[in-house]
Amino acid sequence: MLSIAARRSWRRHAAGYAFVGPALVVLAAFLVYPIGYSVWLSFHEWDGYTPRWGPFVGLENYRALAGDEVFWRATLNSVVFVAVRTPLEVGLGFLLALLLNRRLVARSLLRTLFFVPVVMSLIVVTIIFQRVFEPNTGLLNTFLRAVGLGAFTHPWLGDPATALPAVIAVSVWKNVGFSLVILLAGLQSLPQDVVEAARVDGANAWQLTLRVITPLMRPILALTALLSIIGGLKVFDLVFIMTRGGPTYSTEVLATMLYREAFELNHMGIASAVAVILVALVLSIARVQTFVLDESRAGGKA
Amino acid sequence: MSKAKRRTYHGDARGMSRRKLLQLGLLSTAATPLLRAARATAQTGGAQPQASKATGELKNPVEFKAPKVKASGPTTISFWQYVGFHVDAQKFIAEEYKKRHDPNLSLEITAFPGLNEQRVGVKSALAAQSPTPDIIAIEPGAYAVDVSTSGSVIDFTKVFAEDPEYKRGFWPNAIELLTINGAVVSVPAVTNTVIVYYNRGLFQQHGLEVPNTLEELKKIGAALNAKGIMPIAYPAGQDRNFPIFPYYTYLGGIKADKLMREADLGLKPWTSPELVAGAEFVEMMAKSGLYAKGPLGIKEQDAIQIFATGKSAMFWGGQWMRRSIRAALPPSFDLGIFPFPAVAAGGHKPVLSSVGITLTVNARSKYPDLAFEMIKALTGAWGKIEYTRNLGLSPNGPISADAIAYQMQSLKDPLYPEFLKLQPTGTTRVIFTPAVEEAVTQGMQALITGQKNPKTVMESVEAASQKVGARKFRTG
Repeated sequence: MLSIAARRSWRRHAAGYAFVGPALVVLAAFLVYPIGYSVWLSFHEWDGYTPRWGPFVGLENYRALAGDEVFWRATLNSVVFVAVRTPLEVGLGFLLALLLNRRLVARSLLRTLFFVPVVMSLIVVTIIFQRVFEPNTGLLNTFLRAVGLGAFTHPWLGDPATALPAVIAVSVWKNVGFSLVILLAGLQSLPQDVVEAARVDGANAWQLTLRVITPLMRPILALTALLSIIGGLKVFDLVFIMTRGGPTYSTEVLATMLYREAFELNHMGIASAVAVILVALVLSIARVQTFVLDESRAGGKA
Repeated sequence: MSKAKRRTYHGDARGMSRRKLLQLGLLSTAATPLLRAARATAQTGGAQPQASKATGELKNPVEFKAPKVKASGPTTISFWQYVGFHVDAQKFIAEEYKKRHDPNLSLEITAFPGLNEQRVGVKSALAAQSPTPDIIAIEPGAYAVDVSTSGSVIDFTKVFAEDPEYKRGFWPNAIELLTINGAVVSVPAVTNTVIVYYNRGLFQQHGLEVPNTLEELKKIGAALNAKGIMPIAYPAGQDRNFPIFPYYTYLGGIKADKLMREADLGLKPWTSPELVAGAEFVEMMAKSGLYAKGPLGIKEQDAIQIFATGKSAMFWGGQWMRRSIRAALPPSFDLGIFPFPAVAAGGHKPVLSSVGITLTVNARSKYPDLAFEMIKALTGAWGKIEYTRNLGLSPNGPISADAIAYQMQSLKDPLYPEFLKLQPTGTTRVIFTPAVEEAVTQGMQALITGQKNPKTVMESVEAASQKVGARKFRTG
């Protein structure tokens, strides 16, 4: 029997539970359960064909990954992918946002143009860029030859040294518009009195951007970076379609390794272990980022 | 031919009567060297016959046999496959089957965008013990091993025992590829070969002849390079199978493909001199200047474009690409094919052959007998003629000269009979052990990019093979 206070409290919160209940059920069914199931599978051996998973192997799948050269290569590639893509995407996005926040001719048109790659189908983008990077008749090498830089022509996707940078470049091109839109919205919501005050105090454009706008934009920049990092860690389709992780694993990332282990090599247990590591990575980065955000907010208030 | 296709056909004819069109088609067919040859009789194996001279509107010369089992009420069986361009052929046969033999039975085809997507879908369905799909398209090699050893599909033992003639209708080398642990797991809808397409006009223009030996091919390559023409467009970046083609080719050329199969099954080492020589061949080819630049960065469509625009004189690819290539070529382009030249002095010309799409029945299907009957319709004596007439791919077994003449009425492609002749001479391009296939793919990529040497590559393949341990399956 509930106490009167408990009943009152329940009544007070009932509507809230009713509202979030369905969402919680959906989250539990499509997020918590699959993640839990993946964790469970990562302790088992399973080929993915038989209806029941195979024997319990404890941490064996994780041990196998620790000794797997390809796993470390994929991890390194994922880290490089994020480490290169995020600063480029956020940095370029911020620069473009600053530019497009000014009164420019055809500003709306430019904003739309920069956003077009974001709404384009990824399949279309990858197919276009495969053609761009094709070593013999591709647009990039043809352009280099046309401007007298024929010595720099290269099999961009066919050479392990350039395949990952090429894929990162496409990813930046595809996503910079997204960062731009978020950052532009942020710029437009900045308190104009602070900006005006800095101007009145004699701050030039450079000082205004560096000393006033950038600090004010820190939470939005952090959010954009967080989204970019998470997107970078999860990247699969772009790599899979463009290079399938090759040549010689030079573009293999954790998500493509997961796919290869699960569906080409039938190691569902190992694939699940990769998935668990990937989720752990994403969650810890998200946690660090939210901590930084909270700190910056607290700093702002102080 | 489907109704839609018929409409297109009439549209292209620009008002010509069907009879006139047929006459024209027959004339062009008769003009091919193939049809100048003497009429051959039906074959049960060995070399393909040459087509007979056609003298009127021909019909499929084979009877469409009635099934042993029919649906008792309206029934739909599902079929999941991964090659969109086969759908029309499959639909046509299924509709004819319904019309002629079993009005209650319909076939619902789901064509996934590619093998990867279909395999993921099938895997999920099988793990969930789903009765759908009834019919599954699988690839020879690891896919066939997976579904077979997991007990996910029903083999053809019973079907073949009841109908030995049906079994005899397939090429023995095709059936061998699909025999796992003594049972035929699936049956091929078609077969196909990997050959070299070439630009006849370009060859003639530069006084070049089809090469018979590797040395001749290298000389042609040097001559073309000197004129600024890339010798071979080779789309090694297409998928994980393409980088292995040169390796398979060499082993086929020195008749070491059986040795490769034994190594695949863990019975022989991958470091044997013949198998290492195959890797040396891959390295040599990559360094020879015969390929268009950066083959690992080239996909099929890029390679077709390079070839179609005359930037390369040859194209190394599969018979399944014949339609895409034709579609990309200008009308004046004189397309020819030849088997890869002999890789060893006095050796034979290696032609890689495989079976492409193959069909099997889900062990949990609610209608296994009907599914088998549908597969028999699609791949049996009548169906194979219609199927390959639609697609221009080689049939899954020998067909008669009359059948070829019937097919040529609508195909009108002089290359088709050439492919038919090559098919029975083909050597394997299938690896059954997934981890070994992965190691070979990566190793061949490393050789093409010059990152590793042949010996190191084969050692890593052997290491991958040993890591798998004793195989739970045997083949053939």
